[in-house]
Amino acid sequence: MATQIVMDRTGDTRHTFDIHDRAEVEKAERRFRDLTGAGFTAAVRSGPGEQRVIRSFDPTAEETLFYPRLVGG
Amino acid sequence: MTAVTQQIVLAVCSFALALFGTLLLSALSLVVARSGSCSRSFRYETEARALTLLKGWLSPKQRACYERFRYFDVTGSDTGTRYRIHHGTQTNIEELSSTGHHVCKWCFVPDGELVAGDVMLAQKIALETNERGALGVAHRSFVSSGPRRF
Repeated sequence: MATQIVMDRTGDTRHTFDIHDRAEVEKAERRFRDLTGAGFTAAVRSGPGEQRVIRSFDPTAEETLFYPRLVGG
Repeated sequence: MTAVTQQIVLAVCSFALALFGTLLLSALSLVVARSGSCSRSFRYETEARALTLLKGWLSPKQRACYERFRYFDVTGSDTGTRYRIHHGTQTNIEELSSTGHHVCKWCFVPDGELVAGDVMLAQKIALETNERGALGVAHRSFVSSGPRRF
């Protein structure tokens, strides 16, 4: 199972999908495209306390985090 | 109907009306109080969830530092500059010199009304993976701070 974590006003919303289920993976990929298209940044963990930003959907990523576009505070 | 009877009916009606008003006000106060309590409870749960997420993405050193001091340090991906992310959602990033002294403050946040844990996590990832991009949208402040109140 893999999880897409989307930051929002509730803290975050989690979408879990089975990486062996083609329909679920396609849905997750669509979600990835929709979110990144809307300005969200997608990141995956690459080690303890380390992460990398991904520009394309990675179905093998155990956990993908999405945070909204950055703005000056 | 005699005048006395009329006065009695009037008194009973006034009493009933006053009682109804009092009950209505009490019910209204209860609803407002419960709604405020739910809102506080929701906010607390949101903040707790975001902090759990943040801690899961921090390195052991960053997590230990945050739990002790309510801040953690990150290294900028492009310049190697050290930044201190304090608990908070506004102007909570401090740039440090190579000797660890305060240089300035930066402020950038993810769009939307996110709580501190989420804001700090987005700031950490942005500085550690795309420092220039993050600072490109940030506001910089050179105001020296006294006792810190984040």
